[in-house]
Formats: sequence, structure tokens, C-alpha cells
Amino acid sequence: MELVVALGLIAFKVALLIAILLLLPLPLTWVERKIAGHIQQRMGPMRVGWHGLLQPVADGIKLLTKEDHIPAEADRFLFKLAPILALAPPFVVFVAIPFGESISVLGHEITLYVSNMNVALLFVFAVIGIEVYGVIFGGWAANSKYAVLGSLRTCAQMISYEIPMGFAVIGVVMLAQSMSLLDIVRAQADVWNIVYQPVGFFVFFVAGLAEAQRIPFDLAEAEGDLGAGFHTEYSGIRFAFFMVSEYAVMLLVSVLSVILFFGGWNGVLIPLPPLLWFVLKVAFFVYLFMWFRFTFPRYRYDQLMAIGWKVLLPLSLANIIITGVAFL
Amino acid sequence: MSHAPDRSGTWIGWAFFADLADGLALTFGYMFSRSVTMQYPDKEKWLPYSRYRGHHFLKRDEEGEIKCVACELCARICPCYCIEVIPYEDEKGNRRPAKFEIDMARCLFCGLCEDACPADAIALGQQYEFSSFSSRDLVVGRDDLLDKPGKATTGGGVVAARLNTEQDVLVETSEPQGYDWWRNIRRT
Repeated sequence: MELVVALGLIAFKVALLIAILLLLPLPLTWVERKIAGHIQQRMGPMRVGWHGLLQPVADGIKLLTKEDHIPAEADRFLFKLAPILALAPPFVVFVAIPFGESISVLGHEITLYVSNMNVALLFVFAVIGIEVYGVIFGGWAANSKYAVLGSLRTCAQMISYEIPMGFAVIGVVMLAQSMSLLDIVRAQADVWNIVYQPVGFFVFFVAGLAEAQRIPFDLAEAEGDLGAGFHTEYSGIRFAFFMVSEYAVMLLVSVLSVILFFGGWNGVLIPLPPLLWFVLKVAFFVYLFMWFRFTFPRYRYDQLMAIGWKVLLPLSLANIIITGVAFL
Repeated sequence: MSHAPDRSGTWIGWAFFADLADGLALTFGYMFSRSVTMQYPDKEKWLPYSRYRGHHFLKRDEEGEIKCVACELCARICPCYCIEVIPYEDEKGNRRPAKFEIDMARCLFCGLCEDACPADAIALGQQYEFSSFSSRDLVVGRDDLLDKPGKATTGGGVVAARLNTEQDVLVETSEPQGYDWWRNIRRT
């Protein structure tokens, strides 16, 4: 009986998580367009619903009813597989991510995470590494020069930025003496990691921007020179999959930044519910992503590689060494 | 807002991305500035200036008679030959247009007809909403031209308006003079 309840609870949590992750991009697209509009002194969507609030729904209906076009020369199997491969890893990663300690519902303590892995951080990085397959397959299967160029760029970019990203969090792991995200947050109860690891956060965040394919590192899409990069040939719901995946990765990088460097659900000064603190911090990072997008121009490809290998990698290595020495 | 200070040669600013911070501060400022979007046709509408060249109209004299003497100068000077005038002699023995048609689909709104007119009978008015599903509907005759609105008396403002689609697509304004659109332009 207890096993059934536990399994049911896990199934419920997973379903809730998937629902949230699938639906969250809807308001996020609205927010992004509103931020874009106001930064450019426009208004953004205004006509569908109050201040355009129903615009994402209209967009969703449009994408669902659009022709699902597959190019004649495309590799049909890979072409259909790629959006799913791009979509699944960001969802899987959230299994390992804690959103808080626990809340009591009807006298039962319910933990706010699906599983507390002792190697959660490693799991996150391993799974998010798989996401690059969706991009490569998508670009390759479409049989279009823009898509191939876009996916080649993405491939090189993701692989080279995953290294500094992985190194950047080692300082955090050293401080917490654990790779469990729950323990990492608990270790920040008094002082957030950003105080000890400013360089680590900087490297992590910049690499995260590159990982999420956001401006100033969105060379995979680079609509000015590549059409739309690896998803040039995608339309309709398959394109929507790539978009949802992009927003999920953006959310993931925000959540990881909060958990690893900004104390997770630990608040400061103002006593708010821990979950609210967590949501507020994540919202700030999501806003930061969008704010960056409409402020900075795109880096050139060689600059991107130079930043990754010549700046971020040495910085992250130095960060590990200094943290280690300080620990001794 | 001031221009970004010159940080060439200061490595501290370079190391802490002062330029990027400047850019972020600028866009953040813009984010909370007023939008310049004119919400036409839902909420606002622009009023033309008095010099605006919109849809043609024909004028009447004090007795309410058409001013046009059907000299056809406007038709001659028109660079796109969109005016067609056929004269006749009315009861008082005056030369008047029996037919005065302007093909608005071909008109380029140069205003030469207005300049050429010796009787001050034709002018380009303030109306600019006359789109149509058929180019045949854009050929406007004499009696319609007499009813068209004249030159704007005020103008250049943005006024509150309402889209009315009951009989035809109309954007109704509710006030005579609006705010200056340029007031929301942010100058740094």
C-alpha cells in the first residue's frame, strides 16, 4: 500500500512537472514579446485579450493548424525524431531539481522534488549534454545548407561551453561537499555561494547563455545570416517543440543559477514562503535573459569560440584552483 | 541621460564590463519609458495637418453652386491622367462639369490639380481612409466629391477614437484636438 502511494505521488509530481514545463513557455513568450516591445518603445501584443494576454494561445493554435512540412530531400526519420530529442532532455533534467524542502498537505509531508539524487548535478550535466543531438539531427536531416551550418555551429558551441560550465560548478561542489542539489542549497542557508564564487557564477552564467542559445550567443539561429539555423526547415508543431525546448533550457539555466549560486529557496531579510523566494529568483533570471536579448548584439563566431576557450576555460580552472587552495 | 564616459585606457571598467552595464542601464530606462505606438484603429487616430493631401473634394461657392468651370486644366496637368472632366452648359449659361471623375486608384496625391485650378474648385482634403475591395469603387464621381470633407482646420494630433464596423469600417474620433505624438519620443 505504501509503495502504491509513493509511486502514485511520484507519478503525480512528474505529471505536474511536465504540465508546468509544457505550459510555462506560453506566458514566457508573451512576457518576452512585451519586454521586447517596451524596450523598443513599442507595446508588444495588444489585441488578443487584455494587453495581448491570449496571444500565446492564438500562436499555439496557429502552430498546431499549420502545415507540417517535411522537405522532399529530408531524412524523414531523423527529421521527425529531432524535435523530440531536443525536447526530452530539458524535461528529464527537471526530475533531479528540487524546488523546496517540503510542504504539508492534509497532514502529509510532501517533498518538493521528484528525487533527491546524490549525484544530481552530474545527472543534470549529463542529460543536458544529450540535447545537442536534437539540434544536430534536426540540422542534418533537413538537408538544407542553413540548417547544417546552424547545427554545426550549435554543436561546436554547446560542446565547448559545456566544459567551462562543468568546471564552474566544481567550486560549488567543493563548498557544499556534495553533488546533491538539495545539500548544495542547504549549505547556502547562511551565505549564498555568489559571495564565495563570483567568478564561478560569471563563468556559469555566460556559459549558460551559450548553452541556452540566447543572445549574445545565439549563433545557432542567427536569423540575419542563417535563416533560422537548425530549425529553418521546421514548421508547425515540430517547430513549436524546438521553441518549447529552448524555453525549457532557459528556465533550467535560471533554476540552476538560483540553486547553485543564489541560495535556492533561502530568503534574505524579507520572510517569504521558500517556494515564493525560489520563484521570484528564477523569474529575475528569466527576465535577465530577456533583458540581455534586447540589449546586446550577437557575437561573431570566432569571438564566441575565443571567449569559450581563451577566457571562460582558464577562468573556471583558476576558480577551481583558488577555491581548492582556500579550502586547504 | 548622459553619454557614456570615455573609459579607454581604464582596465577596471573593461574588466567589469562597464560598457555592457551601460547598455543594460539604457535598455532598462527605455523599458519604463512611454510607448510611442499609436493604437490605430482601436483606440487612437491621427488627425491630418491642414496642409495634408488626402482625398480630393470639390468646393461650392456662396450660392451653393459648384465652383468648377470644367476647364479641364486639372485633367491636363495630372501626371497620371486620373481625372476625367466632361463640360456642359447649365441653365444660367455657365460652363460646369457634367462628369467629374477621379480614379483614386491611380492618383498619386501630388496636388498639381489643386495648384492648376483657376477657379479654386478642387483641393486635396483630410480624408485618408478610403480603402476598398474593388478598384472600381475607387472611381469617385462629381457628387461624391462635393460631399467629401475639406481641409483639416487643426491637426497633427493623436485623438481618442473608436473602430466602428457596423455598416462600414469607420474610425470615429471623439475630440477635436489630440495630444502631440512627438511628446512621447524619448530624446537622450
